[in-house]
Amino acid sequence: MWSSARDIAAGDLVIIWQTRELIQPLLITPGKDLNSRFGYYRHADLVGIPYGSKVGSRNGKGFIHVLRPTPELWTMALPHRTQILYLADIAFITSWLDIKRGSSVIEAGTGSGSFSHSVARTIGSVGHLWSYEFHEARANKAREEFSLHGMADIVTLTHRNVCKDGFTVDDTVDAVFLDLPAPWDAIEHAKKALKKTSPARICCFSPCMEQVLRTVSALNDSGFTDITMFETLLRPHEVHQISPQPLTQAVEKLKKLEQKREDKRQHQIARSSKRKRDDLPETDTDNVGGKRLRTQESAEEDVGIRDIPNAVVDPGQSASQPLPIKMPVSKVSPDVRGHTSYLTFARLVPTAPSSVTIQE
Amino acid sequence: MDIPDCEDATSALNSFKVTTIQSGHTVLLRLPSGETKGFKVEKDATVSIGRVGSFRANELIGHPYGLTYEIRGKELTVQPPHTLQEVEETDATNELINDGEFVQPLTLGEIEGLKKSGVHASDIIKAQIEQHANYSMKTEYSKEKYKQRKEAKYSKTFSTVEPTIYNVCDHWFKKDQNRIRDIRPDTLSQILNLANVRPGGRYIVVDEASGLLVSAILERLGGEGRLISICDVDSPPAYPVMTLMNFRKDVVTNIHSSLNWATAQEDYTPAVAQESSSEVGKSERHKIRLDKRKNAADTLLNAREELFAGEYDALLIASDYDPLEILQNLILYVAGSGSIVVQSPFSQPLTELQSKLRLDPSYLAPSITESWLRRYQVLPGRTHPTMNTSGSGGFLLHAIKVYDDPNASKVSSHRQSKRRKKEADGDSSVPQTLESFETTELEEEDATVADQATLLVLG
Repeated sequence: MWSSARDIAAGDLVIIWQTRELIQPLLITPGKDLNSRFGYYRHADLVGIPYGSKVGSRNGKGFIHVLRPTPELWTMALPHRTQILYLADIAFITSWLDIKRGSSVIEAGTGSGSFSHSVARTIGSVGHLWSYEFHEARANKAREEFSLHGMADIVTLTHRNVCKDGFTVDDTVDAVFLDLPAPWDAIEHAKKALKKTSPARICCFSPCMEQVLRTVSALNDSGFTDITMFETLLRPHEVHQISPQPLTQAVEKLKKLEQKREDKRQHQIARSSKRKRDDLPETDTDNVGGKRLRTQESAEEDVGIRDIPNAVVDPGQSASQPLPIKMPVSKVSPDVRGHTSYLTFARLVPTAPSSVTIQE
Repeated sequence: MDIPDCEDATSALNSFKVTTIQSGHTVLLRLPSGETKGFKVEKDATVSIGRVGSFRANELIGHPYGLTYEIRGKELTVQPPHTLQEVEETDATNELINDGEFVQPLTLGEIEGLKKSGVHASDIIKAQIEQHANYSMKTEYSKEKYKQRKEAKYSKTFSTVEPTIYNVCDHWFKKDQNRIRDIRPDTLSQILNLANVRPGGRYIVVDEASGLLVSAILERLGGEGRLISICDVDSPPAYPVMTLMNFRKDVVTNIHSSLNWATAQEDYTPAVAQESSSEVGKSERHKIRLDKRKNAADTLLNAREELFAGEYDALLIASDYDPLEILQNLILYVAGSGSIVVQSPFSQPLTELQSKLRLDPSYLAPSITESWLRRYQVLPGRTHPTMNTSGSGGFLLHAIKVYDDPNASKVSSHRQSKRRKKEADGDSSVPQTLESFETTELEEEDATVADQATLLVLG
């Protein structure tokens, strides 16, 4: 499954990382070019460089990182043919179903192959995955992909409706994973396929609660035990740098502001008394002037301290003050996935060795 | 009872772990209360599980995991799998049931008497129900709950729990989550997948989680691959979590080596003076001791050489030491495109680490996630999230190791002109909380950040 060599070779499948949102697979074919928002690259230039290299574009428009595919990167890069499973669900299902080196596993349906790649990686070449897809075109596409990714020996893909026709193996697998619209129709078939003499497990992946309820009663009717259900999510955190401003700064600002206002008032008084001395005042104009003065003052009061830049308040002092310390802080990203599917798990109790079940 | 030959059981394809209970295994048992406890199963010994009773270990040896037993005397009988009961809707309510009323004439002493005389748990419960003044008024749900509560109290049953990494992690998380650094089973599963742990892979681990990470990686390697763990004690610690995994020792020794922080330094030299080998006529005991010493020295030398050879698939860290320092020590040995996964029960150390790694072009897209898990009760007609749940599964930082090319960052001129244009349009991309003097600084920082996404979004 994928190259494990240090350096990239012609014919390798690599992952081109441009941004977190733009991750795509690329089959290295010397002679071909890669054109993107981040510049122009020749496949031939990538041959012989180590995996994980940063590569600058030929036209100076940016750079890319060339990565070794992993099932996790593949999940981010794969062409979507259906809804796919993501890391949190895949990892949790793998763990609960105890999928590990050498496990025999069934999955239905194959979909876009996000789960299949992860399972194939985890079970390795001594394990086996039987994958079923009822949509013929999708099945063919996935089969092509598995063979291109060197998984053909690990995965057997069958085009079949398992709810109607069941699975192709009996008493063989350690774990069954059902991602079907009506998993309850496949549960009896799953029971047949599961091993009977060692612990066997099943997981049904359904977005709706109504599906869960039907699945639970079907599992119960088929003799599965320890039925339980989970929801799991990843909450991505984003990191920011903040620098809490010292409160004394606000106090200083406010003091200066008040002083400035007082200075201005004194200035106004001085000016109006000068005017009084200069020409004989008319009572009316004086009133108008007084009114205008007050409006100006109240307008000035509305000015928040944040509107006055530091430099204006005290250019000399802020230069001598140490810069506020920056503090890395994190918060949960505002847009997070809120629900994927409910994961219903159950266990099939192995048959007891006949020699010991005798009751006294 | 037949005890299958150990050799037979291990000759299976997946020989890393025996799939049936063997003498010498520490077996997790689920008790009627729902809690799990580890018990050593030794041939011909008696296993005593407190109130529930005791039995001869031989009765379990050779059995597959996952069966439920009832203890009768000293004998075990396998119980049929427990299935859920559909509960009938009735008109009953608790309208007329008051707390504190005298409802149970059966005294504690009488119940003890019944238990001592060997009356079966189900008969004691039946007697209690018959005597209960208000039982018939209860709703069917409430009756069901009552019976379950009593069963947990009197039943003499237990189940064996297969030592899967999920079950072992779950057991430790419930028993003492501090000792495994709050690593919940879902978080552990993410660590393993993010680090691309697979058969045949090569990994470096810093495990201060009682061996949970070491155990989980060994389990996933399944006997094929390589693991080097680095610890802060003189010799490799005996990991309490590993005891429950029942790995085959010889297979573990083959794929797992351990170094400490001193021996993991490239400039480390052993503090011992070279003993002259010319001395002849030593006693046999002395020779054995010298051989042992030499073996240990060789093992250490090999492990060091292996670490320094580098090209590891991933580095996994669950440690209280400064994560940045750990990375500075070990990043050299991680292959290009390899994964770095750092776990912490707290967000702050990872936040700080992320803010530093994003300025280092050797780390691609360092990101922090917190795991979230919710379990549901799915009894027929009574489906709801469980009342008690764990608040957080802890935090993970994941990054990909990359090789920088300083000449490849020529995107800056293109970007900065765009930024200026945007600023002229009056669009400030800098969060409101940041003071203006930081805006200019951010621009400079951005130019060194490896992730173009931030650049272009801001630009």
